[in-house]
Amino acid sequence: MHEIETALAHLRTAWLAGRPAHDAAPQAWRDAVGDDELALLALAGQAADVLTRPDSSAGFVERALLPSLSTPTLPDAHRARFRRLLAPPKNAPSLEHPLVAFVAARGYAAHPADWLPCAKDDWAPDLYAPWLDWMRDEAHAAPGPKADLTSETYESWSWTERRKALVELRGESPAVALGIIAAKAGSEPAERRLRLIELLQIRLSEADADYLETLLKDRSDRIQALARALLARLGRGAGTPELATELAAMVELNKIGLIKRRTQLSIKPLKTPAQHVRRRELFHLVPLSALASALNAEELQLVESAPDAAFADALDFVSCVATTGSDAAVTALIAQLLESKDAPVALVRPLADRVAPEERKALAPSFIMRDADLFETALDVARDTLGQASHSTISASPTFATIKANVEIMARGEDAGRLAATRILELLLPRVGLLLDATGARDLLNEIANWGLSPADPRLDMLHFNAALTEKAT
Amino acid sequence: MAPDQSALSAASALLKPAKWPVRAQSGALIWGECQGSGANPYRVVADIENIGSKCTCPSRKFPCKHAIALMWMFVDDGGAFQSGEIPAWVNDWMGRRRGGGAAATAKSEPKSMALAQEEAAKPADPAVEARRQAAAVKRAEDTRKSVLAGLEDLETWITDQMRAGLGTFVNEPGERCRRIAARLVDAKAGALASRIDEMPSRLLMLPTDERLDAAIMELGKLVVLARAWRAAPNDPELRREIVTSETREDILRDPRTPRVTATWEVLGERVVTRRDGLVSVSTWLLNLDASAQRFALLLDFFPASAGRRTGAFAPSDRFHAEVAFYPARTPLRAVIVSRADAAAAADAWPGTASDALSGYAELKREAPWRIEAPMLLSKGRVAADKGGRMWWRAQNGGALPLRMAPPAIALGADIESAVALWDGVRLSLIAAQSNWGRIDFDA
Repeated sequence: MHEIETALAHLRTAWLAGRPAHDAAPQAWRDAVGDDELALLALAGQAADVLTRPDSSAGFVERALLPSLSTPTLPDAHRARFRRLLAPPKNAPSLEHPLVAFVAARGYAAHPADWLPCAKDDWAPDLYAPWLDWMRDEAHAAPGPKADLTSETYESWSWTERRKALVELRGESPAVALGIIAAKAGSEPAERRLRLIELLQIRLSEADADYLETLLKDRSDRIQALARALLARLGRGAGTPELATELAAMVELNKIGLIKRRTQLSIKPLKTPAQHVRRRELFHLVPLSALASALNAEELQLVESAPDAAFADALDFVSCVATTGSDAAVTALIAQLLESKDAPVALVRPLADRVAPEERKALAPSFIMRDADLFETALDVARDTLGQASHSTISASPTFATIKANVEIMARGEDAGRLAATRILELLLPRVGLLLDATGARDLLNEIANWGLSPADPRLDMLHFNAALTEKAT
Repeated sequence: MAPDQSALSAASALLKPAKWPVRAQSGALIWGECQGSGANPYRVVADIENIGSKCTCPSRKFPCKHAIALMWMFVDDGGAFQSGEIPAWVNDWMGRRRGGGAAATAKSEPKSMALAQEEAAKPADPAVEARRQAAAVKRAEDTRKSVLAGLEDLETWITDQMRAGLGTFVNEPGERCRRIAARLVDAKAGALASRIDEMPSRLLMLPTDERLDAAIMELGKLVVLARAWRAAPNDPELRREIVTSETREDILRDPRTPRVTATWEVLGERVVTRRDGLVSVSTWLLNLDASAQRFALLLDFFPASAGRRTGAFAPSDRFHAEVAFYPARTPLRAVIVSRADAAAAADAWPGTASDALSGYAELKREAPWRIEAPMLLSKGRVAADKGGRMWWRAQNGGALPLRMAPPAIALGADIESAVALWDGVRLSLIAAQSNWGRIDFDA
């Protein structure tokens, strides 16, 4: 073999430079081909193809086997449909995040041949923690739980497992979790440090304030901003009084209601675009409590009613509440937005991150029944309540009429309106398929068939998937 | 609803149940498989309420002759259509079908079903047939002379590349190959021209330091092929490599065509858009029974303008089939003669020799011009070398570099066996059986 490779090397050198290679060939080859350079080329090619082997002397790095999960993977009968749903659609946003969450809510994991989280997919449901560790090549860290997570055992836990354990610990013993975060956050890279400090939002209290104060001088601007926001939620850190005064001058606090008087924040149009830009900027800089003080009011008075404002301006205010408002202010504003007939339900989206899981389950039907924007808001705020809405909840939504109307356009087979109906249904049907419970999905499939759309229409894939994927008993 | 009389006539010629191994219905949907001239059957679905339809054939007519024939047969004898659950491929295509309702016909000519049936039943005129055959013989001789001249030019071209230095060739293979490929098209060596047209992309996929060796292999194979053809211009395999392939009908008509009846599993598919404007769809089959003929390749071509096309089958489909192979020293390309569904089972793939490359060496001894060959690999793992390049490592020793980065799961799976294509330089995995079940790769 070595002789062959040496011979080939000589021939290669000659041909590279455009020289005849006859004299460089082994005698046996010269005897076989004579002066025929092309025959020599053919012989050399065949020798290289068949007689040589790739050089595999460099060391290899063999990964650990992908670990099994405690959650069963999707049954084979559902995998083809899952793959179809996962493929990025042409005219609609990807369903990847809600689809993976939906499958998890039904008690299954995706098969790894169909979907694996990427290393940066912190959004993936907790059940995928062992796969995330494997993707990050951190699976060498012994998976927990073994000894409890403490400052001493912190290093022996993978990042994914640490974060999962800290979420649970923060819910049970916030002070213990605070101690670990305070001790260990400094040793993490910036992005992970931010993720740890974000956990303090869970059961945030005065006990966290001293540590948050130390973060106001952190080397990361994002951590400083997060610390300021969390302190503002605790009513601390008034920010710059001049900014609060400036913002207060751009809004009004009025009394409304004949029988039950309550306050309402009015955010009126301003004279110039530059003023609008400034007001938006101020809503990002001024904590809610500081704005309330500048208006000589309490924080809760600013959220006694849905704001009187154009959508964009109202959104700025809602974002301010979401970032810096107390838990009570957030809860109050959500209730007012849901109750108001005039406020678009999309305004609740910035507040979705502040809704605790148990509250989310209770509020989900209200979000759905108010949703008039093709269930975009309902899907955004649903998170881990996917696949639980009843058919009666969905049919009470203004968007339900949109489904029926557009299905009927498709079923009539007319060209007029067909393209628009196609686009709307491509967006809408997967979303409602993600929101409904299995019984509701089956009922809606029957209704849609009665309205005239073929049961084989691939836009119904998510509904079929939902109806067929019964919840795995845990 | 037919676009023109010729479509109606062509549909009439398809009204033979023997051409339709599958005909089924569910509600307003009817679907079927029609064995056309391609290696894969054409899959057709139609909605009998709004007369929408979809077919995998490359025809630009709408509805095509297959859709017309399917609906015609349903009207004549709906009872011949089995009731069934709507298959996944119908679901996949339903949303992409063209708008409901019969398409407006391009011409307002009158169309007659009776005339269509009359034309299909007309017997061939003997005199016309004799003239046709004489012309074919003359054409064949003209082609032989033309190809011979083209191959001489090819050898001159290869010599020129060597004299200029193969280092120059591997740096700019595109334009150089384009010119000789065009010459070969003129010389009626279309298949060889296509092969040379695709050579630059095969070379340029490799790291720079490997291209010279790959070029020596590629050019060497061309020399072998050209000289083999000169020695045996009537050899069907060589003719297929240089001029053009036989038709499906040619293969089925030839009594010497090797046929194998077995249980086959669909391994995977490769769709390539070629420089000549054709899309090639390669479907790889594995013989699950104990038999010498381990693999079969179904190969179809469509014009790129016909839109997205795939084969008729999905990876892991299994069926009993009689498969007819194009004559070759190591038969591989094939067409399906008849097929029946097989129950899905979790059978392991057949065992393999410990050294997968030994089979490759034997194949290359018989047909040294072959670009690549399928291999069944034994137990192993996918791993990266220190430079990050991916390899297949056999448990019993040996490693082969992969052409493409595999999906993440492949690095974490214990692979029991795998099927791949080896081209002397790189391994393209097609499918594997692992501790996580089946893994499919983009071949």
